[in-house]
Amino acid sequence: MKTNLFLLLTFFCYNLFGQSTISGKIIDQQGVPIIGANVYLNGTYDGTATTDDGTFSFETTSTGIQTLIASFISFETYSKTAEIGNFKNITIKLKDDVNALDAVTVNAGTFNAGDNAKVTALKPLDIVTTAGALGDFVGALQTLPGTSNVAEDGRLFVRGGGAEETQIFVDGMRVFTPYSPSANNIPVRGRLSPFLFKGIAFSTGGYSAEYGQALSSVLLLNSIDQPQEEKTEISVMTVGLGLGNTQKWKKSSLSLNTSYINLAPYQKLYPDNNEWHKPVESIGGEAVYRYKFNNEGLLKVYGAYSSADFDLTQEDINVADGVRFGLKNENLYINASYQDFMKKDWSIHTGVSFARDRSVIKLNEANITDIENSAHLKLVFKKYFSSRYKLNFGAEYFLTNFKEDYQDSSFANKFKFNNNIFSSFIETDVFFSKKFAAKVGLRGEHSELLQEFTLSPRLSLAYKAGENSQFSLAYGEFFQNPTNQYLKFNSDFKAENTTHYIANYQYSKNKQIFRAEAYYKNYGNLVKYDTLFVLPTSTFNNTGSGFAKGLDIFWRDNKTIKNTEYWMSYSYLDTKRDYQNYLTSATPDFASKHNASLVVKRWIEDWKSQLGLSYNYASGRTYTDPNKGGFLTEQAKSFNSLNVNYAYLISPQKILYLSVSNVLGTKNVNGYQYADQPNMDGVFNRRTITPAADRFFFIGFFWTISDNKNDNQLDQL
Amino acid sequence: MKSVVLIATLIFTLSLTAQTPYEKGMNKAFSLWEQQKNTEAAQLFERIASVEKDNWLPSYYVGLIEIISSFGLKDEALLNTKLTRAKEFLDSASAISKDNPEIMISYALLNTAYIAFDGAKYGMTLSGENVAIYQKAQAIAPNNPRVLLGKTEWDMGTAKFFGKSTAPYCEDIERAIDLFEAEEQAIPYYPYSGIERAKEISNNCKKETSPK
Repeated sequence: MKTNLFLLLTFFCYNLFGQSTISGKIIDQQGVPIIGANVYLNGTYDGTATTDDGTFSFETTSTGIQTLIASFISFETYSKTAEIGNFKNITIKLKDDVNALDAVTVNAGTFNAGDNAKVTALKPLDIVTTAGALGDFVGALQTLPGTSNVAEDGRLFVRGGGAEETQIFVDGMRVFTPYSPSANNIPVRGRLSPFLFKGIAFSTGGYSAEYGQALSSVLLLNSIDQPQEEKTEISVMTVGLGLGNTQKWKKSSLSLNTSYINLAPYQKLYPDNNEWHKPVESIGGEAVYRYKFNNEGLLKVYGAYSSADFDLTQEDINVADGVRFGLKNENLYINASYQDFMKKDWSIHTGVSFARDRSVIKLNEANITDIENSAHLKLVFKKYFSSRYKLNFGAEYFLTNFKEDYQDSSFANKFKFNNNIFSSFIETDVFFSKKFAAKVGLRGEHSELLQEFTLSPRLSLAYKAGENSQFSLAYGEFFQNPTNQYLKFNSDFKAENTTHYIANYQYSKNKQIFRAEAYYKNYGNLVKYDTLFVLPTSTFNNTGSGFAKGLDIFWRDNKTIKNTEYWMSYSYLDTKRDYQNYLTSATPDFASKHNASLVVKRWIEDWKSQLGLSYNYASGRTYTDPNKGGFLTEQAKSFNSLNVNYAYLISPQKILYLSVSNVLGTKNVNGYQYADQPNMDGVFNRRTITPAADRFFFIGFFWTISDNKNDNQLDQL
Repeated sequence: MKSVVLIATLIFTLSLTAQTPYEKGMNKAFSLWEQQKNTEAAQLFERIASVEKDNWLPSYYVGLIEIISSFGLKDEALLNTKLTRAKEFLDSASAISKDNPEIMISYALLNTAYIAFDGAKYGMTLSGENVAIYQKAQAIAPNNPRVLLGKTEWDMGTAKFFGKSTAPYCEDIERAIDLFEAEEQAIPYYPYSGIERAKEISNNCKKETSPK
């Protein structure tokens, strides 16, 4: 009875004020009706959902100026403010939400790892759980297509480019000396701990105008914003010890990590083919401090110091007693960045990084001291006009000061140079629709040392052809100053350059990704010199050139086999260069024509274990055989390596980790060294350069102590 | 972790007394939700939220419906779209009501939806976040039965994953039931639900105290 009375009353009220009808139709950009969209007057209870033909109609007692809202999942919300009489038979066209996961992404050339990436080639955990990667942040990347396996070097060789053509950035700031030094024929390791990062973008070409001074590739690492909790971590390994601690406060946090590595016990047990006078011993520490300001601003300061020391004698065909090589290296790296959001959808990102690297090298009788001080300053502004149009621009300054002091019994000299580069860039991201997007950028660089200004245009396009597939194209010009080994003797150079052309096809559906990318790179202004080694007396010029072309294929499947993930990559590379002291245009000895990798990971529930396996193949690399004449015309045997790892979760906080590289003990060949002079039969003798050891074992125990009993160091392995 | 599935059922009574438009709207939304008309219910909550600018409940329910209905989805694009939308509404709910334990544990549920979809991709970062959320929520509301239930279920899932006994957690479930029973249900439309879920787990506890 009460309800009836109420209804009667409301009816009466409605009649008193008068009602108007809001009606119309909601369609998408193709004109297809949207069913079930939510339409209402903002701030009122009046509204409805669209019917099967996209139409809607509802009554309201509101009058005057009102705001009509139409919203539907995976479309941008529509709103219009007008006099209520205008909302009759209105047609509303909803725009696709270009931020949706199924929208096109501009990604030619780039592999993303991390939670936020729309299509992830690698997951954060893969960086550290790939067999054979041995906790090195570049290890897992070497199983992606576009990279060449150069087992004795350890750095990233991308698409026919040398290792120095790849630059690494942390939070947008350059890392000047990303690798710990090592002796000849022993792979280097990355200095940065992999667990510092939440996201990685690895670009094998055609990258953004924000980055420069890299001919082939950039690796962008984003550090975590806030650690989740306070904890202490202890690692005991066959190669050393590690200790870490994280403290959290209301707005800030501090993480400290220290490590001590000593390979002496390992080398006692498993001697390799070098004669070690002092096995590798290194001590390092790193600290990350993060502070969050009230206004969303975030400051991150990362500092790392490491010191390494070793001394060994290595076989050499021209020196009966071998070559003695000793090195003491000290490295300090500081990276500070600040990010903030401002009014009117502007944001600012600024930072500074500084590196000081000091190496004292003893090479037979010679003493060499190298000191490199480098800094990078950067300021970037971003303006978010809409989800469809973004602009970012900025400026940066690179400073490098290099000094070398060389002394032997007959010769002493000092070399030094300053290599400062100022650059600025502007870039825009435009979504024409959910299916078609473009990134257009321009970068200018001025080198004080070379007295040269360069301009690099960059362009990427992406088109979504079907529900699960897309095509992308990229073009770009890239410049890089010659490396320190040339600049210390000569500065009359131009910047080396490449042009990239990339075409990419990607299919991704339900935890499966297929990617194929074809590319062509054209190199110009490469440094040439006319002596056996780079010497102060060499004559230099900039007339070198080259090309690289190829096809990269990637397939990842996390779906077909339960509890198992695997990926496969294959790269075909055809490259020739005439640079350095090459006699003619030839395929460099770091480039192999075919590279393939298979990585498999299986979680075995009953054993609480993850079993990992990786297989790497690279076709033989080139070498010169003076007995046959010719230059880099011979091909060494192919490289094969099967690696396995096993992680056992003893309890949520204790992990036992075992890893064996090249478990089959395949005898790989890194190259050959020929005698300078022929023997009595007129034949040049040769020595086969093999890896220092065929296999490498690693056993570690990792223990995490925290309030949260579930956290562990699996992400560090 | 995948075993964590939360079914929220809400009990409410339709009063026969005169209703404000807010009550009318909320009642209608809950009845739509009860009839499994998730989209319609979420849309109505969204419309109510546009009026009730100082009330966190309508936005909270839009988020909750999107989260619950995204469990079991196979399409990552749709999952991401729904959960992104859910997060927007939870964000606006927590802007109205800061440090609200009910909203906080919904963020944990949102993370769980991602983890349930692909543990290898989302587990590493989000499970730690969840632990932090439950710790913070428990510090704010030590006697909130839903916080205790959510945290205990999460811990049980983890224990199960590592092949550990879940028996030690049964005590907390019993404590949660006591807290549910003692809870004073004073605020209309407040998400008081959860006791059925707690009782269900408690029954399982009695059946098997250890996985072996």
